[in-house]
Amino acid sequence: MKFLRFVIVLVLLLNYFSITYANKNDELTIKISKNLRCLICQGQSIYDSQSDFAISMKLLINKKIDEGLSEKEIYKILIEKYGEWIVYDTRFNKNTFILWGLPVLLFFLGGAIILKKLVFRKI
Amino acid sequence: MIPNFIGYYSLIFGLASSVIIFILSLKSYKIKIIDKKIFSLSFLQFFFVLTSFFSLVICFVISDFSNETVFNNSHSNKPIFYKISGTWGNHEGSLLLWLLVLTLFLFLFLIYSKDEVKRYRILTLVFQQVIIIGFFLFVLITSNPFNYLFPKPVEGLGLNPILQDPALAIHPPILYIGYVGASIIFSSSLAATVENYISKSWAKNIKIWILVSWIFLTVGIMLGSIWAYYELGWGGFWFWDPVENVSLMPWICLTALLHCILVLEKRDFLKTWTIILSIATFTLSMCGTFLVRSGILNSVHTFANDPSRGIFILSFLFFLVIMSLVIFFTFYQEKKEDYQKIYFLSKEVSILINNWFLMYFLSVILIGTLYPIFLEVISNQKISVGPPFYNKLIVPFLIFFMLFMSIGPNFRWIKETNIKNKFQLILFFFLSMFLSLIFLEKIGRTDLFNSLLLVASLHLVFITIKDFFSKKIHNFSKKISHFGFSLLILSILLNGIMSSEITMNLKVGDSFNFGKEKIFFKSLKNNKINNYQSITGHFIVVDDKKNIYEFEPELRIYDQPEVVTSEADIKTDLFGDKFLVINKIKGDEYFNVRYQIKPFMIWIWISTLLLVIGGSISLYKRYYEK
Repeated sequence: MKFLRFVIVLVLLLNYFSITYANKNDELTIKISKNLRCLICQGQSIYDSQSDFAISMKLLINKKIDEGLSEKEIYKILIEKYGEWIVYDTRFNKNTFILWGLPVLLFFLGGAIILKKLVFRKI
Repeated sequence: MIPNFIGYYSLIFGLASSVIIFILSLKSYKIKIIDKKIFSLSFLQFFFVLTSFFSLVICFVISDFSNETVFNNSHSNKPIFYKISGTWGNHEGSLLLWLLVLTLFLFLFLIYSKDEVKRYRILTLVFQQVIIIGFFLFVLITSNPFNYLFPKPVEGLGLNPILQDPALAIHPPILYIGYVGASIIFSSSLAATVENYISKSWAKNIKIWILVSWIFLTVGIMLGSIWAYYELGWGGFWFWDPVENVSLMPWICLTALLHCILVLEKRDFLKTWTIILSIATFTLSMCGTFLVRSGILNSVHTFANDPSRGIFILSFLFFLVIMSLVIFFTFYQEKKEDYQKIYFLSKEVSILINNWFLMYFLSVILIGTLYPIFLEVISNQKISVGPPFYNKLIVPFLIFFMLFMSIGPNFRWIKETNIKNKFQLILFFFLSMFLSLIFLEKIGRTDLFNSLLLVASLHLVFITIKDFFSKKIHNFSKKISHFGFSLLILSILLNGIMSSEITMNLKVGDSFNFGKEKIFFKSLKNNKINNYQSITGHFIVVDDKKNIYEFEPELRIYDQPEVVTSEADIKTDLFGDKFLVINKIKGDEYFNVRYQIKPFMIWIWISTLLLVIGGSISLYKRYYEK
């Protein structure tokens, strides 16, 4: 009896873990598909779109997650296949360092101009 | 057919009167007396454009398909309301509307500026006519709304169904009033530069126009995002889509101008900066038109595009920018009075800090919108700049912005000797830190930036509520708008971190659990309603307190053109929205059902309305003070 109870508890526990594990997978799928552009729609993410392309992409993402690939690896595969256009989260590389850097640079420049005007004013 | 001809010829007469007004005003400028004819001609010009606009409306109402615009964008069995709103739901018609607002505003400006310096008035008129002539030419050359089709087609192609919506029907006109108001600010600041009239009294007068455009722009953006929320079917209200950005940029610029003009009005400096902001606001509005109309942007809004139009607007834009730069550098003189002592602890400096941050936010959005276009042209590489980019660059700075905003606005002009209520500031800061900590712990989100933003926005909400009841500060409009802004950020943030959703494929009779709620798919109805076929699902949601909510999301299959739209069913209350939308899965009895819980959604709209109410009160006060 004891053994049976143990098995039942174990099965239930395993079940529980697999459920939470599945949920985690779902969350990851949602997270990834929200960050991908639906290439045949206008301005919609894979997650929001119901087009054939989006549906097959969602299946692909699920499959890749089941294969044990991480989020980054999935992006890498997709970028190789479809180009950087597909990812909403712009990466930082030699093409985009200006994009990321320029606003911050302008912020400090603006600050410097304001300081100069205030401190070094001719009175 | 007859309205078509009337419309076309009144446009040409309108252009002719524009040219005459331009010449007359140049003459008046020399002799320093305003020719009375200018007033009647301005009215006539407005009247011509109005006639033209109404003839287009009539063409749409009677479904005159010999008109190309009507043929492309209307259909005889569309409801009358959308026939009318279809007038400006397309490129040609919306430009005509733009022109209508331009001429109306110029006429209003002429009436309401009677007490001002004559030459300044005439010059504003001249610059405004340059813009009007440019738009007349644009309409007539590249996008004539009255092109005649022969033989007359029997039926039109129809208006894109996702544009057939009440919020979207009034969204363009309101947004345009905001944009066009910026053109008056642009012209008058150029005129003031030439006449060396940038002064306290100019600031007082121009502030009315700034407020008017700001109010309309705010409402216009809000309507657009309300529409996106319930119509586009993903339950989001802001996607950092290029076209959304393009409307937000002039808004940020105008907000900066609204604050900076106060310094000019009270302290008579920051003149150069005011002029630069005025020029930038209008340039950004024009840029918006260019980017949307040229079809360069890939977005939901791109419903009309044609490269020749893009080139026309781009060259016109360059012409205006170069003209304003030349005028600015030739005529602008810095006066001696500009050099006054400025103290760090003063309202002036806190407004400067506000402008500094606003310009940073503007540059993030501008670069984020334009950079992908440039990169594609230069290196032929396509990248996406999406919501994560904007969140990462804006949120950290927004935290500091909001902290400054809780202290700065209460400073005195010239010099603040001691920061008032230091104790209260610190107390509220710790209170909001404590509350955020408890709250975030409870919902299990402890992301660094979100936590800090929550602290900063809660703090600002507390401070603005406290200010609201303090009797020392009388500026009621400021109190409301600042409170509105703090509430806006807080509700967007809470909405963002607390939203939850689930997507399932279901058929009739299925049910599923989502958190503490249970969702049943009860039944399905098919209906034929004049220009679309409707499939309505019937859902029941039962929450843990046994409250029952009934949802009836709808799928509409329009015939002309054949498009499927999903109409979400949304249950709104003060604590949040429940949002249910269905989509058909091809060749299957299953439906794709998405159920979302979006906390504090209505507060986003309420707080935007508070911003608008604040602005309106200020406008009301201005108007009656005069």
